[in-house]
Amino acid sequence: MAEVPTFKLVLVGDGGTGKTTFVKRHLTGEFEKKYIATLGVEVHPLGFHTNFGPICFNTWDTAGQEKFGGLRDGYYINGQCGIIMFDLTSRITYKNVPNWHRDLVRVCENIPIVLCGNKVDIKERKVKPKSIDFHRKKSLQYYDISAKSNYNFEKPFLWLARKLVGNAALEFVASPALAPAEVEVDEQLAQQYAAELDSAAAQPLPEEDDDL
Amino acid sequence: MSDNFEIEKVTEEESQAHFEPVIKLNAVEVKTHEENELPIFKMRAKLFRYDKDNKEWKERGTGDVRLMQHKETQKIRVLMRREQTLKICANHYITSDMKLAPNIGSDRSWVWNTATDASDASEKFEGPHTLAIRFANSDNANEFKAAFEKARDANSQTSTKKPEAEAEEKAEEKAEEKAEEKKDEKKDEEKDEEKKDESA
Repeated sequence: MAEVPTFKLVLVGDGGTGKTTFVKRHLTGEFEKKYIATLGVEVHPLGFHTNFGPICFNTWDTAGQEKFGGLRDGYYINGQCGIIMFDLTSRITYKNVPNWHRDLVRVCENIPIVLCGNKVDIKERKVKPKSIDFHRKKSLQYYDISAKSNYNFEKPFLWLARKLVGNAALEFVASPALAPAEVEVDEQLAQQYAAELDSAAAQPLPEEDDDL
Repeated sequence: MSDNFEIEKVTEEESQAHFEPVIKLNAVEVKTHEENELPIFKMRAKLFRYDKDNKEWKERGTGDVRLMQHKETQKIRVLMRREQTLKICANHYITSDMKLAPNIGSDRSWVWNTATDASDASEKFEGPHTLAIRFANSDNANEFKAAFEKARDANSQTSTKKPEAEAEEKAEEKAEEKAEEKKDEKKDEEKDEEKKDESA
């Protein structure tokens, strides 16, 4: 099979704005509530199936907190696209956006960048829509997003993919659902599973006011 | 003012900035591998997986859970894709050992085990897993349970049919073999006769 086209994506923004949670949401579907500051950088391949074939964003999830910055803009080298994230409930994180942008474009000139205002699900929005204008001056794309409710959570990748491939007709498509394996479960394994099922069933699911 | 707490959101605009494309790709034919299947059940739901080490449920995806029946083999699988990205979050056959257990304190969720799963390979989600699914209400949850159990029974029938079918095939093969053997015998006889003719 031909190699999957892969792009280096640099993800930056203040600490606690939700960069790692956003990446995890895309990787496994989970929503991580605990805050564990990223040290240096964590690189994750995020694959998508499109009508132009599979593509992959090698996502460099960088530390937002200054004291854990590691190599900082050393991580930006050869970045082909970027996401700058801020927290809609924290004005300071929006105020710092120009600094993240300046550092990123100093290393990666003229790459497509998406500005994301995260946590739009929270009612106490502090950064009002009309005060968000930085992207217009700098030719960035802007999205309100929520890693919690999944609002617009695919849009940053979709916009970047369209720019990198140079085709506005690019869409995400259903990935190939290969036939699953047929597994025989023996008696011993069945008993083990039954025990695991009982303990899992006794653990309540996270109760969220979900939009089902 | 509305009292439905509608959160103020930015009106979406598309940046028209031009960037030099990094790569040129051609449109491809999309294959979902669902082409030979019929959806016999579909319902919006939220899926979870159990994290044994931390004893907690982790979200896996929200979207339509579907039971897909193969047109030829008749086998039925659970297939679920996340909304928006259309990535697979559950993909396994419904086997005879599977039972849906209620989740404590909920009348709209079910818990079950699967020995294997074929979601996107890059995720390394092969299994085994304990999964849970939550629906909007208990009616939806009960509809799912009924469809799931019906599919399980149907699947166990198609798999018990299999050995019989195979046995029949083998019997046929044997019959054919015998027929061929007889032919060979006949040929040998003919040859013998030929030899006799020659010697005469």
